[in-house]
Amino acid sequence: MLHFTLDTTGNKKTACVELDILLQGIAMKDASSLEQLYKATHASVFSFALSILKNVHDAEDVLHDCYIAVWNNAESYCTEGKPLAWLMTVTKNLCFQLLRRRRKNADEPIEDHTAWSCSEEQSVVDRTVLSVCMEELTDTERQIVTLHAVSGFKHREVASLLDLPLATVLSKYHRAIKKLKQHLQ
Amino acid sequence: MSNREITEKIKKAFLHAVPDRMDEILSDCKVQEGRVFTMPNKKRNKNTMTQILAVAACLCLLIGGGFGFKSYQTNNRVDATVALDVNPSVEITVNKKERVLEVKPLNNDGKTIVGNMDFSGSDLDVTMNALVGSMLQNGYLNELANSILISVDNNDRTRGAALQKRLTNTVNRLLQTDKFKGAVLSQTVHENEALQKQAQKYGITLGKAQLIEKILSKSTVHTFKELSALSINELNLLLSKQTDKLSDIEIVGTASDKAYIGEARAKEIALKKASVTADGLKSYKIELDTEDGEMVYEVEFISENYEYECEINAATGTVVKFEKEYKGSQKSSSTSSSSPKGSSDNSAKKISAEKAKETAFKHAGVSAAEVTQLKVERDTDDGIAVYEIEFECGNYEYDYEIDASTGAVIQSKKEFEDEKRETSKPKSTNSKNTSGSILTAQKATEIALKHAGITSAKAVDLKAERDTDDGVSVYEVEFEYGNYEYDYKINAETGKIIKSARERED
Repeated sequence: MLHFTLDTTGNKKTACVELDILLQGIAMKDASSLEQLYKATHASVFSFALSILKNVHDAEDVLHDCYIAVWNNAESYCTEGKPLAWLMTVTKNLCFQLLRRRRKNADEPIEDHTAWSCSEEQSVVDRTVLSVCMEELTDTERQIVTLHAVSGFKHREVASLLDLPLATVLSKYHRAIKKLKQHLQ
Repeated sequence: MSNREITEKIKKAFLHAVPDRMDEILSDCKVQEGRVFTMPNKKRNKNTMTQILAVAACLCLLIGGGFGFKSYQTNNRVDATVALDVNPSVEITVNKKERVLEVKPLNNDGKTIVGNMDFSGSDLDVTMNALVGSMLQNGYLNELANSILISVDNNDRTRGAALQKRLTNTVNRLLQTDKFKGAVLSQTVHENEALQKQAQKYGITLGKAQLIEKILSKSTVHTFKELSALSINELNLLLSKQTDKLSDIEIVGTASDKAYIGEARAKEIALKKASVTADGLKSYKIELDTEDGEMVYEVEFISENYEYECEINAATGTVVKFEKEYKGSQKSSSTSSSSPKGSSDNSAKKISAEKAKETAFKHAGVSAAEVTQLKVERDTDDGIAVYEIEFECGNYEYDYEIDASTGAVIQSKKEFEDEKRETSKPKSTNSKNTSGSILTAQKATEIALKHAGITSAKAVDLKAERDTDDGVSVYEVEFEYGNYEYDYKINAETGKIIKSARERED
């Protein structure tokens, strides 16, 4: 399995341009562009979806749907130079659609909500960290931490992605880190 | 544990949970290429009911998502760009529903027009209405300058053409005011990198650049730089004078030439300058043209064996250039001292051409050795036999008329030359701008006033300031005359005019 996240320290701009080029390729129905986009971004998409949905299976569904949607609609995209942020917005919308539908169909079988361990690669530590993230943090705290720690978004970018004031993002982030420290020590 | 260690742990934990769904996604996408909507069979231990529901849910999501994107596309994607040029330049981007996404002023006048108005989300027609209204209100469109250029950029040519037509009609209707009737030029613009660069270089819109390029394709006498300084109305006037009509520019209405003195008045001025009457004219031609970014009337006529060429500033009526040439006379070649042959006038020749030349050189304070491009001609001016002596020295062009009988200087003219020739000429020791030294502010002012065709007595609020522009020492000369504000930038070393601008005062 490939774990490829974007180099967020250095050439973020170059990475953005590359992603935009890939999106153009996808618009021309080039499957290898989609493959590359997937490799470069799926960890971010999945983690963010997991942080919202708290369920690995649902997050997987969103991961799948997200790239299908990209494939079908890439020609109409207007990423404004922020392809990754835009992908996150797509992910967020898909997650919320799923949650909304879940609420409407309350009789739908509820899956195991502690299902965030599925991969064999996960160590005991990984499982513990995930469960602390899922159980101890609030939804917003978890989303902020994931976007920042996993996908490398700046606090400012996190704020705009989640429609929150920067100050809120910062204070929530620090509170979350504090909580994690307490539980992981 | 440090914050860094914590974030590292979180990152690892999440990344290790990431599944790989690439093959599924790819195979789904390939199926969807044929627009067949099938969902993958997920390898999960769920009961059939859940599976069906999940498939249904995904379908819902996909369709819903699809609709969402479709609407995102329709609402936020730029479908067409409409640029308006008068002198204010404004660019409007609209989506497929012709709702405005953004109105972007492209120059300072454009900013005045847009002001605090926020158009995002408004109807394109409403926006056009408001913008044109604002242009009228702010006096950018009036009986003196009534032309507006609409440039539509739409990838879909047919839709672009339809939009262009509709907007032309809308704007044309708006410009049918009590005071004046407008002229609307419209065109479809196409992406063109080279043109975009030109447009940026001269600070104009792509639309205007395209218009200029089209004018240039039919006319060889202008340069891009020259035309870029003109307003749309002026360009429209030039267009209307061109016999070869441009096929892909639609023009409704006629350009206003009310800001100009008119052809009749220009003729009067030219004839007066030449001291001839209208009766004796053999061939007469008048044309509105542009010279150094100013509109001029070019008047050419023949009267009594002389060919005249006169350029008159179309706005002020000042004579910018005046040439009189004996028709069929043999011109002496440069630096030669041969006297003109075949003199046709009957007045007695009292002094030699050599003598006349010397008189002129002495008057100009130059020596024969420094002089280039010498031309000596016998001529008659108001019935007096004269020598017309033209030569160049340093960066100046001299023009003399010497009375052939008395040797007196009847007329003397000294003119600063344009850059192209300037470099090839030796520097004059006499001329006030010897190389390396800096002109006086007085001299810079003189150059500016001369270019504007105004005497220093008439100029109001005259100001000259030394400044550096891109490492070059320059004089910034500003003054006002009539209803105009003049703004010059003059190279402080060479005296070359770097920038000249004339603007109507509000």
